[in-house]
Amino acid sequence: MIEFTLNGQRVRTDASPDTPLLWIVRDTFKLKGAKYGCGMGQCGACTMHVAGEAVRSCITPLVAVQGESVTTIEGLGTPSSPHPLQTAWTEQSVLQCGYCQPGQIMSAAALLAHNPNPTEEEVEQGMAGNICRCGCYPRIKKAILSVASHNAGDAAGILAEEAPA
Amino acid sequence: MNDASLSRRKFLTATGFAGGGLVLGVGLAGCGASRPPITPEDGAFVPNAFLQITPDNVVRFFCPRDEMGQGITTGLATIIGEELDVAPWNMEVVFAGPHEEYANPVFGVQITGGSTSVRGHYQPLREMGAQCRHLLLEAAATELGVPASALSTEDGHVVADGVRRRYGDFATAAATLEIPELPPSLKPASAFKYIGKDFPRLDGLAKATGTATYGIDIDIPDMHHAVVKRCPVAGGTLRSVDKAAALAEPGVTDVVEIASGVAVVAKEFWQARKAADALDVAWDLPQLASLGTADIKADYQAALEADEGLVAEEAGDIEAALGSAETVVESDYWAPYLAHAPMEPMNAVVRIANDEADIWSGTQGIGAAQGLVARYSGIDRDKVRAHSTWLGGGFGRRGTLTHVIEATQVALATGKPIHLLWTREDDIRHGLFRPASLMRIRAGVGAEGNLVTWQAKRVGGNITPDTIANTMPGLLPSAVGDTMIGWAVGLADHAFGGWVVDGTSVEGLFEDYEVANLDVRHITRDHGLPLTFWRSVGHSYTAFAKESMIDELAARSGQDPVAFRLRHTENNPRLNRVIRVAGERMAAMQPAPGRHLGFAAHRSFSTGVAQVAEVSVAGNKIRVHHVLCVVDCGLAINPDIVKAQMEGAIMYGLTAALYGNLELEGGAIRESNFHDYPILRMSESPSVEVVLIDSNDDPTGVGEPGLPPIAPAVANAVFAATGRRLRSLPLRLA
Repeated sequence: MIEFTLNGQRVRTDASPDTPLLWIVRDTFKLKGAKYGCGMGQCGACTMHVAGEAVRSCITPLVAVQGESVTTIEGLGTPSSPHPLQTAWTEQSVLQCGYCQPGQIMSAAALLAHNPNPTEEEVEQGMAGNICRCGCYPRIKKAILSVASHNAGDAAGILAEEAPA
Repeated sequence: MNDASLSRRKFLTATGFAGGGLVLGVGLAGCGASRPPITPEDGAFVPNAFLQITPDNVVRFFCPRDEMGQGITTGLATIIGEELDVAPWNMEVVFAGPHEEYANPVFGVQITGGSTSVRGHYQPLREMGAQCRHLLLEAAATELGVPASALSTEDGHVVADGVRRRYGDFATAAATLEIPELPPSLKPASAFKYIGKDFPRLDGLAKATGTATYGIDIDIPDMHHAVVKRCPVAGGTLRSVDKAAALAEPGVTDVVEIASGVAVVAKEFWQARKAADALDVAWDLPQLASLGTADIKADYQAALEADEGLVAEEAGDIEAALGSAETVVESDYWAPYLAHAPMEPMNAVVRIANDEADIWSGTQGIGAAQGLVARYSGIDRDKVRAHSTWLGGGFGRRGTLTHVIEATQVALATGKPIHLLWTREDDIRHGLFRPASLMRIRAGVGAEGNLVTWQAKRVGGNITPDTIANTMPGLLPSAVGDTMIGWAVGLADHAFGGWVVDGTSVEGLFEDYEVANLDVRHITRDHGLPLTFWRSVGHSYTAFAKESMIDELAARSGQDPVAFRLRHTENNPRLNRVIRVAGERMAAMQPAPGRHLGFAAHRSFSTGVAQVAEVSVAGNKIRVHHVLCVVDCGLAINPDIVKAQMEGAIMYGLTAALYGNLELEGGAIRESNFHDYPILRMSESPSVEVVLIDSNDDPTGVGEPGLPPIAPAVANAVFAATGRRLRSLPLRLA
C-alpha cells in the first residue's frame, strides 16, 4: 500500500509500485488532466509537481511518491478559480489542440516558482522538456513572461496554491 | 486536350476522385438519415441542424467539424453568430454527432480536413444564422404586437423601444413558425461585429485547466484497456502466438487475435502495456521486409532515369523551349517518409451490449467511426452512438481510423467495454505515413529573364488508394460488402499506378508560376508502407522542390528572387500579393551579422503564403531565428487564430525541414519515439511575425497553407549563408 497526497488530499493505493504515477492518477484517481504522450519522459505532457518540483509522471514509479505531495493541473487551478498561468493561456489564445498544455502549464508553474522573473533564454531552457506539436511555443513563451512580469518577486504566491491542505 | 487528359478527366468525373482530395459522390443512404439531427428540448426552437435556443436562453451551436487545434469551434461559432447576432462567447458549442446534415460542404461526407471547414461553411452557416434570427424577430413581432421592422437585435436579445428581451423568451413561439424557403439577406462585411475581430478562443479555459475531454480521457464502468502488438513490417500477418506468458501477467483478462495483430486486454493500461511485451509472436513477413530506405531510394532513382511516367499536365513545346533557354538547371529533390506524431496517440473506446454500441474517439470523421463500428460489429448504424471528443492533434492522421476497427474487434471478442490506446511507439511505427518522394525538375530561363520551360517529375507512392481503403468502409452502408470496397480500392490502385495521376501526388509541383512550356509527370512506385494525408499533403514536399528550383533559377540567371517570382505570378493575385508584401518586408529586414535570409512562396488550398526565414549556420548546425509570414486567405474570420495557424504550421514544417525522417530497415521503421524522431522544441523555435493581407474575399483555409514554404525558405537561406544547395529533407550540412 502506497500513500501520498494528491492535490491536498491523502490517497492510498495497492497498485503495483512500479506503475508510473501518470496511470495511477489518471486511471485510479480519475484525474485526466495530465496526458500520456511518449511514456519515456521525452515530451512533458504528463508533467506533475512532486514536492514542488516538475516531474515526468510517465517515468515516475508510484513507489517514488510514497509520502510525497503530488500536484496535478487540477490542483493548480480550476475553471472557476484559474491559476494566473491558466488565465494568461486563455486570454492570449496560447493553445491549439491543447493536449500538451496541462504539462506545459505545470512546467511553467514550477519554473516560475523557482525563478519568478526569468529571462527569455531561461524560459526556453526551462520549457525545453515540453513538446508542443501544434507549435504554440511563441505564445507559451510570451504568456509565461507576461505572468512573470506581473508576479515578479512573488514566488511564494505561485507556490501557495499547491500547499498541502 | 490530348487523350491522356481526356481520359483522366472522364475517370475523375466518373469515379468522384478529384485532385487534391477525395470526393465520394456515391449515394450514402442509411447514414443516419432516418432521424432528425437534433432532439429539441421542451419548448426549444430548433430552426435547423445547427442551432437550438431553449426557453431558458441557452443558444447552442452544433459544430459540424472536428476541433484538432485549428480553432474551428471558435471560427464556425463566429460565422453563425454574426448573422444570428449572438456573441460567439455567449453560445454553448457542442460537437454535432454523425448525421448527413453535418457533411463537409466541400467533400459531401462528414470529414474534417483539407483546410475546407471555414471555406465550405462560410456561406451556409451565415444563412442558418440569418434564418434563425429572422424567425425570432417574426415571433417577437407577433408576441409584442409590433411590426418586425420596428425590432432590432443585439447580442442574443430582441430590442423593442429600447427594451431588451432575451432570444429564449421567443423560442417557443418561433418554433411554431414555418421556415421560409429563401434565406434572408446577409450582412455586408462593413456591418460585421464578430467576423474579422480578435477575441480569445472559446476552448481556452477548458484546455488550460485540463478539463477538456479527449478520447484518451474517456472512462466508463467496467472499462478494460487494450494494447495491440502488431507486425513490425506493415502488411505482415500473424503466423503464431503463444499467449501463456502474457495471460499470466497481473491484471490481464484476455489475449485475442484481431485483424491487425494480437490484443492484450487488462484492467489497467499499464498492465496491458507490460503484458504485451511478454507476448511471444511470430509473423509472416511481406515483401517490404526485404527493403530498407536506401533500396527504395535507389528504386525511385532508377525509375526517374528509365520511366517516362504518366502525364499530369502539359503545355507548349518543351524541346523547342529548352533550345531557346539561356539558363537551364536540373536538380533532384528528396523528401522522406514522415509520421504525423500528434501529441495524443490514437485511441478509441468501444462498448457493445444488447445489439447496440457506443464509440468515443477524437476523429476527423465521426460518421466514419460510427460506420466502422457498425460494419465490424454487425450492429445497425442507427444503433451505434458515436461520441465526438476534442482531438489531441490531427494533421491528417485522424482521418484513418484503424484504431476504431481494432477497438471494435477487441470489444466483440472479449465482451468487455474496451479502451484501446496506441503507444507512442505504435504511433511512429504502425500508422500511415507521408509518402517519400523523389522529384526532378528541369527548368529554363530565356534571354529576357523569363521562365520558358518547366519539366517536373515525381516518383513515389500515392495516398489515395490507402485513403479510400481506410475511409470507404466507414462511409458506405454496411450492406456494401468488402468485396465491393476491395474492387474500388483495386481500381484506384490500378488507375493511379498506370493510368491517371493521383492529384495529391503532384499538387504544388507546377501550378504557381506562369510558364508557356510545361511537362509534369508522375511515376508510381509503391513498396507497401501505408500512406495518407499529412499536413498540406502533396504540397509538403512539392513546394520544397519547386521553391528551391525557383531560387536556384533566379540565382543562376542573375535575378532578384522576389522580382523573379513576381513577374511570373501576375495572373495569380493571391500569390503575387503575398510575394510583393513579403519581398518589401524582406528588403527592410536587417539581419544581424552571421544571419541570412531565404525566401519562399506557395499557394495551396486556395491560400497564398510567402515566408522569409532568418537563419544562421554554425558548423553543421542550422538555426532558424525568425520567420516572417505573409498570408492571403481572403477574409480572416478570427485574425489571431489565422496567425496561430501560420505559427503552428511553421513549427510543424520546421520539424520536418530540420529533423523529420523515418528510415526503413528490413521493412520496419527504425524510429520509435521522440528521442529518435525529434520534434522542434521551444529552445529551437524561431520568433514569427505574421502579416495578413487585408481582404474581403470569401475566406479560404489556413490549417495547411502555412507549412509548404518553410522548408524551402530555410534551404534558400542556407544557400545564402553557405553557397550550398541542400536538396534533401531533412536539411543537413553533413
